[in-house]
Amino acid sequence: MSSETDIYKEQLIHKGAEASLFSGKWFGKSVIFKYRIPKKYRLEELDKKIRKERTMNEAKALVKVKAYGINVPQVYEINVNDSTIIMKFIAGEKLKTCLKNLDETKKRSYFKKIGKTVAILHKNGHIHGDITTSNLIITNNEEIFLIDFGLHYYSDNIEDKSVDLHLFKRVLISSHGEDYQLCFKMFLEGYRSGYEEESINNCESIIKNIQAIESRGRYVKPEERE
Amino acid sequence: MDVSFSGLYTSAKYLLQSKNYGKKYNLSDIAFTLQETAFAMLTEVTERALAHTEKKEVLLTGGVAANKRLQQMIEYISREHKARYEVVPLRYAGDNGVMIAWTGILQYNSAGSDKLIDTIIQPKERMDNIKIPWRT
Repeated sequence: MSSETDIYKEQLIHKGAEASLFSGKWFGKSVIFKYRIPKKYRLEELDKKIRKERTMNEAKALVKVKAYGINVPQVYEINVNDSTIIMKFIAGEKLKTCLKNLDETKKRSYFKKIGKTVAILHKNGHIHGDITTSNLIITNNEEIFLIDFGLHYYSDNIEDKSVDLHLFKRVLISSHGEDYQLCFKMFLEGYRSGYEEESINNCESIIKNIQAIESRGRYVKPEERE
Repeated sequence: MDVSFSGLYTSAKYLLQSKNYGKKYNLSDIAFTLQETAFAMLTEVTERALAHTEKKEVLLTGGVAANKRLQQMIEYISREHKARYEVVPLRYAGDNGVMIAWTGILQYNSAGSDKLIDTIIQPKERMDNIKIPWRT
């Protein structure tokens, strides 16, 4: 027989802008509780509605995306009234911290895989919204998991997809400068490989549009503007 | 940090045309809801920006800066992030007509006039994509 003590939080492991993450157990399994924090500046009714909706959206996205064969945490339980998602705890290391210690072969294969993963998301109209090296986990048996679908939304716009890629590029430049060239090149190679021949034009338009985004004022220092 | 308000007005309009209007809710309910929703969006992106950049100052400007509710919300998140909060004096937050007219004069002096047919509304136009002829 199961009792309520089969589900419990252990400790706070991360506090983000929107949510707090707790480690814990769910019927013996190691899990993460993602709890969306109430925002006091918002009207209570509105706040509840927003947190409820976003919890549902994120959980749904995780479930849908998993069906494409992408490694994302398995959702075990959704508690909309408490705006909490209970999902599988992915043991491993953030790509952000382990990247510099990887050998070149691994860098190549990981970033190619990541690129292909993002292509599968995009082809199916999913925008992750926050692809960073902090949201990619390398497990002990070298699988790559994409986490945090908190900013996920649906779109088939070239612009929205380019922004997704552009953000990742910015992260590589600012946090992994010396690895940027190789990693982003492999990432794009993987991204292209995720598209079929009939949709490769669309893929190239998305990649090309990254430059257009970069040329916009806010990303260019005043002295570098044309 | 972009926000899109398209849909918000449409949604308010539908509420006005609904058969429930005047029964389940009235005009002030719609206005209140519209304001709370739009301001919550603005406050949320401001909070994200504060958390991300770790800036220590927030300055609220523009016409809507005159709104006491928006001031309250922005002040709240500024305090949460230990940032200094300021708002432009009311006399600079009222009508933006002069600013718009002045921009029009600058535009006219450097690039001439536009044909009315070319002055269409582009809801997705980005601020950072707009050409500023008097600066280049």
